[in-house]
Amino acid sequence: MAPSGQIQKSKTKAPKKKEQDEKEPEVLSKEKKQKLKELDEYIEGVLEEAGEDFLDQFKQVEGQ
Amino acid sequence: MSIPKVVGIEQEYAIQIQGDRSLSAFEASCMLVDAYARRVGLREPAVRMLWDYAHETPYQDIRGKLFRKSPSQQVTTDADNRLINAPLPNGARLYTDHAHPEYSTPECRSARQALACDKAGELILQESIQAVSSLHPGMRIHLYKNNTDHKGHSYGCHENYMMEAAAHERWFVKRPQLTEQVLIPFLVTRQVVAGAGKVGSEGRYAADARYQVSQRADFMENLYGLETTYARPIINTRAEHHADPDRFRRLHLIAGDANMCEVAGLVKLGSTQILLQMMEDHYFTEDLSLSDPLKAVRDISMAFDTPVALKDGRTMTAAQIQRRFQESAAAYCQKENDARVPDFHLILTHWEQILDGLEQLRLSPDFAILDDPGALIHKLDWLLKLWLLNRYRKGRDDCGWDHPMLQVLDLQYHRVDNPEGMFNRLQKDGVAERVTTDEEIHRFVRQAPEDTRAYFRGRCIEKYPEEIMLLSWEVVAFDHGQTHRMIPLLNPLQGTREQFEGLFAGAATSRELISRLEAETGG
Repeated sequence: MAPSGQIQKSKTKAPKKKEQDEKEPEVLSKEKKQKLKELDEYIEGVLEEAGEDFLDQFKQVEGQ
Repeated sequence: MSIPKVVGIEQEYAIQIQGDRSLSAFEASCMLVDAYARRVGLREPAVRMLWDYAHETPYQDIRGKLFRKSPSQQVTTDADNRLINAPLPNGARLYTDHAHPEYSTPECRSARQALACDKAGELILQESIQAVSSLHPGMRIHLYKNNTDHKGHSYGCHENYMMEAAAHERWFVKRPQLTEQVLIPFLVTRQVVAGAGKVGSEGRYAADARYQVSQRADFMENLYGLETTYARPIINTRAEHHADPDRFRRLHLIAGDANMCEVAGLVKLGSTQILLQMMEDHYFTEDLSLSDPLKAVRDISMAFDTPVALKDGRTMTAAQIQRRFQESAAAYCQKENDARVPDFHLILTHWEQILDGLEQLRLSPDFAILDDPGALIHKLDWLLKLWLLNRYRKGRDDCGWDHPMLQVLDLQYHRVDNPEGMFNRLQKDGVAERVTTDEEIHRFVRQAPEDTRAYFRGRCIEKYPEEIMLLSWEVVAFDHGQTHRMIPLLNPLQGTREQFEGLFAGAATSRELISRLEAETGG
């Protein structure tokens, strides 16, 4: 596998999630499952908002 | 005899601008500094204070060599000086450094204070962004509290600790082999507690890495040295003590990561404070010299539980080495000592729990968290981030560790310009454990710590901003027309609220302050 830091993809497309794998283990309470579902949706939203060009644009000047 | 470990953090933030492509990172950073300075009244026409660069000697080495001329002349005009700098009433300094907004906390006695002051810096920058947005509605500035852009560029989260001068000389100049026996192994292994986590690898030593413990490990190339932007050392040897060098020295550490998790931040700073005191008191005597410390930095970052070789032939994991320090620190802190590290019990407890948790932590070869009985995902950045990344990867067959979306998630974890950002949400939801309170953090947005010289500096900036001509960490200079009066702050432990609150209350001007000071001290 190539080092991740060296990947040069111009567009960052989100990989597709399989519906059947979204189930959480049975031991989790309903409330916790709901919170995790909300967190997953939140993460998706953050990544979507960041946009496909995010990595291309995120370049910093060398600091200390 | 050990002395209190005054501590401070310097955080360089990553900056990203949207909406104005013509604006450089340097210009945007200066806009943020200026916007906050305006907000706290420091850009009124009568306020002329400058940051005093005369005390900065980045090319003077503690080992006695001057490698280049002082770069103080880089900031050539007063206008440039004000463009870059904003010394604040909370005792901190907000400024632009290498095109990054940088926030240096005021001097703190405790790790917990330093942590709260560092978090206060995030709120201050959020205020700056709001101020800039109101002036430039189309522009969006995002800030990230991390240490890499994943393209080979790094920026620091530096730590500063006050040491007793003779001990500093002994450890770092006269007998550096002692440092290699104690402090180097401590700092090399500390990343398993305080690493911020990183997807991939980069830079000169880029390796086939999926996920790493530390953001800075790829950038550590020397044990000692003056450099900070390349060939970075674990121990920075800059002779710039910001205090009376006959009594106090500054240990400047640049190897650490920026922490979002409060527990990780507390243990990073607090354990280092305790170890430095043990060094000053000749308390820790075990030789834990590593065969190859720089290789060990990278090896541990690649696999937290990999055994590393010691010079004496033993092999130990990072957690086992940290355990040696923690156990010794626990015994040391039982002894009565006026200079004892504040909140040592809290620091030692978290430190021990983390090491217990690391011993039981199990990761799969593909970095799935198989078992975390110590619930370390709630305490440590590198594990909380790993947990998030794994949640995202779950159910996505085509999301290998080389998928760019994981780097996006890695970066978004560190975004701090939005109070509703990812880490803040995790903290509000109770996923990331707290050490400080919102009240403490908000207090340090406006006020300096009360038990160091930061109190004196902060009160001067708050009360007499129009009278200050120059200031730095170690001096406040007033412009009194025909005369300039300088108040040296050469002892970071002096200038406290207990000493000076009454004096400030009765002094409407800096002239009155100095008169009263002279009357009290007889001169």
